[in-house]
Amino acid sequence: MARNFCLTLFACVLFTTACQQGSGGKKSIAVITPSHDNPFFKSEADAASARAAALGYSVTVNTHDDDAHKQDQLFDVAIAEGASAIILDNAGADASVAAVAKARAAGIPAFLIDREINANGVAAAQIVSNNYQGAVLGAQEFARLMGEKGAYAELLGRESDTNAQVRTRGYHEVLDKYPSLKLAAQQSANWSQTEAFQKMETMLQANPALKGVIAGNDTMALGAAAALKAAGRRDVIVVGFDGSPDVLAAIRAGDIRATVLQPAARIAVLAVDQAHRYLTTGSSGAPEKQSIDCELVTPQNVDQFGVFARK
Amino acid sequence: MTERDHALNAAPAARRIPVAELFFRLRALLALLVLVAVFSALSPAFLSSGNLVILIKHVAINAILAVGMTFVILTGGIDLSVGSVAGLAGIVAGGLISVGLPLPVFGVAVYFQVWLVVLIAVLAGTAVGALNGVLITRFSVAPFIATLGTMYVARGAALLISNGATFPNLFGRPDLGNTGFPWLGAGRILMVPVPIWLMVILGAAGAFVAARTPFGRRIYAIGGNERAAQLSGVRVNRVKLAAYMISGCCASVVGLVLASQLVAAHPATGETFELNAIAAVVLGGTSLMGGRGSVGGSIAGAFVIGVLADGLVLLGVSQFWQIVIKGVVIVVAVLLDQMQKRFSWRETSA
Amino acid sequence: MSVQDTLLRAAAITKRYPGTTALDAVDFTLRRGSVHVLIGENGAGKSTLVRILAGVELPTSGHLEMDGHELRLASTRDADSHGIGIIYQELSLFPNLTVVENIFLGRELTRGRLLVDRSAQERLARELLQRLEQDIDIHAAVGTLPLGRQQIVEICRALARDVRVLLMDEPTSALSPGEIHVLFRVIRELKAAGVGIVYISHKLEELMEIGDEVTVLRDGRRVAAAELAAVDVNWIIENMTGRRWEPPPQQEVSGGAPALLRVAGLSVPGRVHDASFHVAAGEVVGIYGLMGAGRTELLEALAGVRPASAGEIRLDGQRLDRQPVWERIARGVALSPEDRQSAGLVPTFSLGENMTLASLARHSRRGCLSAAAERGSTLDLISKLHIKSTGPRQPITALSGGNQQKAVIAKCLLTSPRVLLMDEPSRGVDVGARSEIFEIARRLAAGGMAILFSSSDLHEVLTLADRVLVMAGGRITASFARRQFTEQALVAAASAKPGGLHDRT
Repeated sequence: MARNFCLTLFACVLFTTACQQGSGGKKSIAVITPSHDNPFFKSEADAASARAAALGYSVTVNTHDDDAHKQDQLFDVAIAEGASAIILDNAGADASVAAVAKARAAGIPAFLIDREINANGVAAAQIVSNNYQGAVLGAQEFARLMGEKGAYAELLGRESDTNAQVRTRGYHEVLDKYPSLKLAAQQSANWSQTEAFQKMETMLQANPALKGVIAGNDTMALGAAAALKAAGRRDVIVVGFDGSPDVLAAIRAGDIRATVLQPAARIAVLAVDQAHRYLTTGSSGAPEKQSIDCELVTPQNVDQFGVFARK
Repeated sequence: MTERDHALNAAPAARRIPVAELFFRLRALLALLVLVAVFSALSPAFLSSGNLVILIKHVAINAILAVGMTFVILTGGIDLSVGSVAGLAGIVAGGLISVGLPLPVFGVAVYFQVWLVVLIAVLAGTAVGALNGVLITRFSVAPFIATLGTMYVARGAALLISNGATFPNLFGRPDLGNTGFPWLGAGRILMVPVPIWLMVILGAAGAFVAARTPFGRRIYAIGGNERAAQLSGVRVNRVKLAAYMISGCCASVVGLVLASQLVAAHPATGETFELNAIAAVVLGGTSLMGGRGSVGGSIAGAFVIGVLADGLVLLGVSQFWQIVIKGVVIVVAVLLDQMQKRFSWRETSA
Repeated sequence: MSVQDTLLRAAAITKRYPGTTALDAVDFTLRRGSVHVLIGENGAGKSTLVRILAGVELPTSGHLEMDGHELRLASTRDADSHGIGIIYQELSLFPNLTVVENIFLGRELTRGRLLVDRSAQERLARELLQRLEQDIDIHAAVGTLPLGRQQIVEICRALARDVRVLLMDEPTSALSPGEIHVLFRVIRELKAAGVGIVYISHKLEELMEIGDEVTVLRDGRRVAAAELAAVDVNWIIENMTGRRWEPPPQQEVSGGAPALLRVAGLSVPGRVHDASFHVAAGEVVGIYGLMGAGRTELLEALAGVRPASAGEIRLDGQRLDRQPVWERIARGVALSPEDRQSAGLVPTFSLGENMTLASLARHSRRGCLSAAAERGSTLDLISKLHIKSTGPRQPITALSGGNQQKAVIAKCLLTSPRVLLMDEPSRGVDVGARSEIFEIARRLAAGGMAILFSSSDLHEVLTLADRVLVMAGGRITASFARRQFTEQALVAAASAKPGGLHDRT
């Protein structure tokens, strides 16, 4: 047993060494994101690595699975392998500061995408989509679709996540201004499709008069839409957030009425471009904090959008 | 809750069961009654037939997992891979329906009829269960470790197959002859949703097998004293292998139901489901040491967890409180288990 | 013997357990600088006496004196503080700790109260091992050492304290002849330093070599005491067994019935060497031997629980040695194991469920258990074997030891065995149930079953067996037919060194 383990380990070491030799000479960029089981992160990682490869870099792509400790290890590996720059979608606003600072101390600039960290001057750039602006956009469309009145439910993301908080704040900034719009139920579905499906079914029982559902992300919107469809309630308005390809398809099919597209792919490309400029000229040519606006996707304009980007 | 007890004595019970012991044995059912009473008092919607059907449908997911998990835990093992197996089975089915089985050699993809798709997905889940069994029996890996490993392997396999994406719109195409998959999650027989039928069928079959067949008796024997079972000619390795295969099979049914309900297969489906299933089994009075417990108890345990979860949503209780309450219920259940052990020990040594 | 010479005295020690009297007014005197041998059959009370001297148990009545002062030992710590050390028969070491850590566990050498003085411990450990002429890495985990080496560590542990009295319960059971030689040298050194040693062993030659005095216990009483120089092996055996020594018969008379179970050259690595014998249908064969002689291992190998490295087992001419347990049960070989709790019973089961566990297929109809069939056969055997219970539903743990043993035998019987293997069938069973079990065995044999049982109790073997195989050191050292064996002959054969003089097979 132990011998097999050693063999496997040995094979892994050989493999890694072989990989390193394969990348010999070229400058490299490390792309670190949350788990690719969410298409959002997968598409930002894909976009970043495609762009970097096109610019002549060798690329390593890794996921930290929202585990700050694992992220820290990935940073150690990137530093040890002598990466030129790191593109990071981080694992926690506070927990990630130390890792980014460590890379900076080692002379490796980190370009943060999608999520910010709670520190200034540590990362070379923090390019995020404007979640608050996006939420306001989504809520305005939701209010319009609802006819500015009636009972609605809200599905929250994981309540400890910054984005869940920012989005619900943006939603209520708009919706609370309409006195006839009543929040009948508010539940967290932890960003999960299955959980949103079950919560939606139960909320519908408690509040049969629901006219609409606004969800903190697209996965939950899809879960809610499936539950509504199963219950024969296609009249209920569903609005999501993210602009995932599945929701774009659902908008075409009429199951979901609107979503807010985060230009994840565009942000990733932007980050790689700025990293490239930084590595060649010594400056990224942009301020550290950059906020990219989100775009509203409706049945009318859905055909103009692709994978987390305008076509 | 032990149906097992009825197996031996056809004659009326000679042993009088004290009230306190009865209370311990039926704790899951009692807890359930209390919860139902509380929720129906607090929310008028709770006892509506529509809500009850949806509630039972939600419970079915965890209950089916708990049926398989009961067999594993009765042998003294544990299966952490069930959530991942559910995800894998859903992805296998989703992939076969939406993109088919690609045959690169011929440059075509083969599409199967839905019943075959379901069969293949269940076989895939059962195969992961078999892998667990082989690791545990042939290679003597501790069940916790072996199933922790396959938990990652199955999840990784699901991500690889789907390339991390969701297989959406699993309605199938009439021209390919593979329509009908959504029936599994949304269909009804005699007004009752299919997932509930699946729970009833699997639960009844599981309870029967555990209580009334030689295989079930052997499961209990292994959990009670593995060495004595082996010396009595029980093929311990085979029986354990079968227990893990049953668990894998149940998990894959759950994965299919979930994918069918959402009409989409997501590779992350089923994360942390194993913990809910284990909680249901323990709540239902099955000892984590093995040898004691019943399938019926586990289903009652799943009902407690499910009623609690849905009832709290119905009342609009915050997510954070929901988590705290669920934790408290599990701890109390385990405390009761410990008290019962002390109780029955006193009885036998007297 | 002068009074000043007396180091430790036990006066009229009685120890009663519920139902039995383990020691009955036993007097015992240990002199300074002498080795006092304690001898008796298993269950004679040797270990109980040692446990009382070591402070593990308190006597029911009687008292201890040391240097003429009354001594009350309420715990091993008390014994320790009076300089009484003990080397247990079963190793009491921690396998995951190193040699040094084990030697000093519980009484670490410290520097300034809190810090363990590692270098002093290591120095002392090395000195001790040197004295025992052992080249053992003091930093090795004890679990990685062979059994003999572990025994040495156990001895070091006792020597590391400045003992005045050393209790040794079968200290040589795991040692090689070379190691025994060294141990005896150390014992002589300790004697010269005035230490008193209480020595228990079944190996008579060894006792004669190292002992100064001997006390013989039988059924909890002191039956004889003497200077060893004044007695011989026969005297010891006579006192142990309570009967006169007669020279052992030289020949085995072969039984009339053909052999049902035939075993040839069976070996279990390190446990059983080249065992060959047979058992005929209707015959009751006993295997007698001391603890660790290989009886259990031999029976387990026959049942298929323990893998054999070589040899043939044939049942009615058919090979059985490659078959798994369940297959052997199906062919008609059933084992009632030595340790009921760990191997015989499922504690979570009822009496009835335990009884039918090995024969579930027979109690099933169309793949389902038949409650009626189970109830029928369990009730039948409960009455036939006189199992005292409220019925098949009673939890097995609520039954007495004897009834539990009968339940295990009933489980075997429900498989319709042709050969019944019983390992220590009377262990932990009261006298009444014991004779009932014997009667059952006799009846079964009369019905044509072949019965092979093991025992370390002479009386049991003599009462029950038609023929006796004696094991020592993993070998069958003798075989006696009925009325040809005597207690003396059995004891002598069982105490033989492996490959010794009494080999008669």
